[in-house]
Amino acid sequence: MVFDDRPNRTMTLHLLVWRQPNGQTHGKMVPYTAEGISPDMSFLEMLDVVNEGLIRKGEEPIAFDSDCREGICGSCALVVNGRAHGPDGGTTVCQLHMRRFQNGDTIAIEPWRARAFPVIKDLVVDRSAFDRIIAAGGYTSISVGGAPDANTTLIPKDTVEAAMDAAACIACGACVAQCKNASAALFTGAKISQLALLPQGAAERRRRALRMVRQMDAEGFGSCSWEGQCEAVCPKGIKITNIAKMVREYNRAATTGETS
Amino acid sequence: MATPSRTVSKSVLAPPAPPTQRRPYTSSVAPTRSYFNTSIGTKVLIGATGLLLFGYLILHLLGNLLVFLGPETFNSYSHLLIKNPLIVPVEIGLGAIFLVHIYKAVTNFIANRRARPVRYHRTAWTGRPSRKSLASSTMIFSGIIILVFVLIHLVQFKYGPEYVVAQGSSEAGVRDLYRLELEVFGNILNVVFYAFCMLVVGSHLWHGIASAFDSLGADHPRFTPLLLRVAKVVAAVIALGFMAIPFWVFFFARQGAVS
Repeated sequence: MVFDDRPNRTMTLHLLVWRQPNGQTHGKMVPYTAEGISPDMSFLEMLDVVNEGLIRKGEEPIAFDSDCREGICGSCALVVNGRAHGPDGGTTVCQLHMRRFQNGDTIAIEPWRARAFPVIKDLVVDRSAFDRIIAAGGYTSISVGGAPDANTTLIPKDTVEAAMDAAACIACGACVAQCKNASAALFTGAKISQLALLPQGAAERRRRALRMVRQMDAEGFGSCSWEGQCEAVCPKGIKITNIAKMVREYNRAATTGETS
Repeated sequence: MATPSRTVSKSVLAPPAPPTQRRPYTSSVAPTRSYFNTSIGTKVLIGATGLLLFGYLILHLLGNLLVFLGPETFNSYSHLLIKNPLIVPVEIGLGAIFLVHIYKAVTNFIANRRARPVRYHRTAWTGRPSRKSLASSTMIFSGIIILVFVLIHLVQFKYGPEYVVAQGSSEAGVRDLYRLELEVFGNILNVVFYAFCMLVVGSHLWHGIASAFDSLGADHPRFTPLLLRVAKVVAAVIALGFMAIPFWVFFFARQGAVS
């Protein structure tokens, strides 16, 4: 590793941040200057520095969500320069680092924007719509027993991999944020697909598809236009083939007289 | 570069309002919609009617290309079509497909706009693996242009001047659509208008063909990537095929007819 001993290699960035005191008030983009930013900082650490400056001046710090800061929890949710989770694919915004930007860049930071994700404050949105979609059917309610011995339930390798790929969803909501229709099809499709692929989930696949899609529509998400912007920003690279799978699952349930 | 102001607006500094009412994490059962009013059923209808219209477009292109074989062939083909007793029910069916496609697409567009009431300050295209294109971003506009075009097209041809020419065994003669075509495309403005509209049709198909299959749930690890490529070729072939006719008439066939 090369030790960088250049002194004071810090950046100054011009931020445009969405400020909105609460869900009842209109918000707007407010300019800030972030000074003394190390290129090694993560994007959220940069916001922490800006917030410390705001607190010192007696101003309201910028509210944003974060938890694990290692790209696995799905809490952080920022649209950076029009892209959910920032310019890099396959990561959450907490894994975005300031070296990705140039000194003097202007960076627009916005919350997920969707009717189903109302702003709570600034960059924090209420993603409980996802919880309600899961609560509508994203589980198995039958007894599937304890952890089985290896190879007692035979599942083809490809099927397991497809189910695991869908299960990688961390429910961050970037798919909704990037979709021009604010559609939750990728999120809902991933869960429906994952559970339908495995024998433990397949038993309730039809009822699940009906219920989860019904809840998804009731939350006010849009429909899928097959542009695949969701897949491009998904930190877990979940594929839109899961949406096609959801369509098949839903159609099968809807045409076989299944009641939810 | 001027440093942006650090000042924060009054509204941001306002005393905190009572916390936003959090919505419950569990819900009562959401209302059931009829299948064709769900987000999935809506797209199934749009996709299915879109594919039917695409199929019609292929037949229409194949028929139209007969114009290259001269007035006799073209007019007897159109005569066969016009005088077919099945033409009225087929036209009614085609019109119904059009109306369903338009109605569902427009209501779907409005619902999708409402799903994001506050627009982004800055937007960006993500690039691959996204399929977003100029065509996919303008489906509603290309659709509206196609609707206007179809109406004008019907007025110009189907409900246009009824020239009759004596031909074949038909005693009353047949409708001379070949002559009408020479007349319409003798006008450079019509040629330009039709060429533009065919580009728009091509754009609509560029995104529409492959997406229609996806909307029906047809997806395959091997065939879908192939379909995505083939669909664009087919879209281009259809647009260029239709476009060839007005240009051919204006630059070649007309001169032949005059001389």
